[in-house]
Amino acid sequence: MKKYFALLILALILTAGVRAQAYVTKNGYIRFYSEAPMEKIEGINRQVNVAMLPATGDFVFKVLMKSFNFEKALMQEHFNENYVESDKYPEATFLGKITNIKAINFAKDGSYPAMVEGKLTIHGVTQVVKQNGTITINKDIVSAKAKFTLLLADYKISVPSTVVNNISKSLEITVDAAMEKLNK
Amino acid sequence: MKLWIKILIGLVVIGIIAAFVVYKFLINKPHPDFENLKPDYTLDAASFYKEFNTSKENANKLYNGKIIEITGKLTRVESADTLTIAVFAFEQDIFGEKGLRCTMLKKFGADAMKFKPDGIVRIKGYCTGYNGTDVVMEQCSIVY
Repeated sequence: MKKYFALLILALILTAGVRAQAYVTKNGYIRFYSEAPMEKIEGINRQVNVAMLPATGDFVFKVLMKSFNFEKALMQEHFNENYVESDKYPEATFLGKITNIKAINFAKDGSYPAMVEGKLTIHGVTQVVKQNGTITINKDIVSAKAKFTLLLADYKISVPSTVVNNISKSLEITVDAAMEKLNK
Repeated sequence: MKLWIKILIGLVVIGIIAAFVVYKFLINKPHPDFENLKPDYTLDAASFYKEFNTSKENANKLYNGKIIEITGKLTRVESADTLTIAVFAFEQDIFGEKGLRCTMLKKFGADAMKFKPDGIVRIKGYCTGYNGTDVVMEQCSIVY
C-alpha cells in the first residue's frame, strides 16, 4: 500500500510536470454524523492528509481511522472494533480528481463549485464516488469543502442485529481541508 | 410492612442502582486517562518512525492502537485550529516533511508550545498509525 501510495503521488507529479504546484495539509478535518432514534453518533478527525494538484485536478485524502475522536468512549470502541475494524483496515483513502478544475481560477480569490470524482476506500471496500463541493481561494490558502452521505452497506460495514434499529444506515460526511501551497 | 412489599422495594432499588452503574460505567464510561496510562512501548522517535517507514504492516501490528513513549529531537511545535502538534521530521519528500506528528492533550498544549526546536523531548501518546508521510500520535502528554 505504501509503495502504491508513493507511486500514485509520483504519477500525480509526473503527469502534472516537474514544476507542478501542490496544495497540501496534514490537518484536514473530516466529521461523520449519524442520527437515529436511539443514538446520535459523531466522530471527528483533524489529522487528515490532503493533497491537490491544480494543474491536473488530482485530489488525494488519507485518513487514519483511529484518529476519529468521539464524545463517548464506548462509541469510539464500537466504531473501531465492530464497525470499521480499524486494526484490520487502519486507513481510508480517496483518490480522485476535481473534474472541473479548469473552471477554478487559482489566481483569483473567491469561491468556486467543484465536481469531484474518484475512488473512496473504507473498510477495505472501494467504491466510485461523485460529489459536489466548494473550493475557496483566499490568497495562498485553498480550502476544499464538501458534505455528502454514504451508506454503511456500500462499504460492507455491518451493524449488529441487536442494535440495527438504533443506528442509522447512512452517515453524513463533512470534509473541510485548508491547504497551503507546498514550496518547491 | 408485608415481607413481599419489602422484597419488591428492595428489588426496585437494586434495579435503579444497577441501571445507574451500567449507564455511568459502561454506556457513559469515560475515555481512558491517557496521561496516566503506562506505555506499551518506550522507543527512540527516529527508530519508531523508521519501523513504520520500513514495514507499515509489521509496525501497525505492533504499535497501532498502543500507548507509545518516544524520546527524540523535536523539529518544532505547530498550532492548527485548537490543536497543538509536536513535529519530529526525519525526511523530506515531494509532499514535504515525513516523520512523527504528536497531537497534545489540551492541558499540555501551553507547555508544548514552550519546547525549543532541536531540543530533546519525551512524549507519550496513542498511536493511530502511518498515513504514508507521518506516524500519527494522539492524546499526547509530556513525560517530565
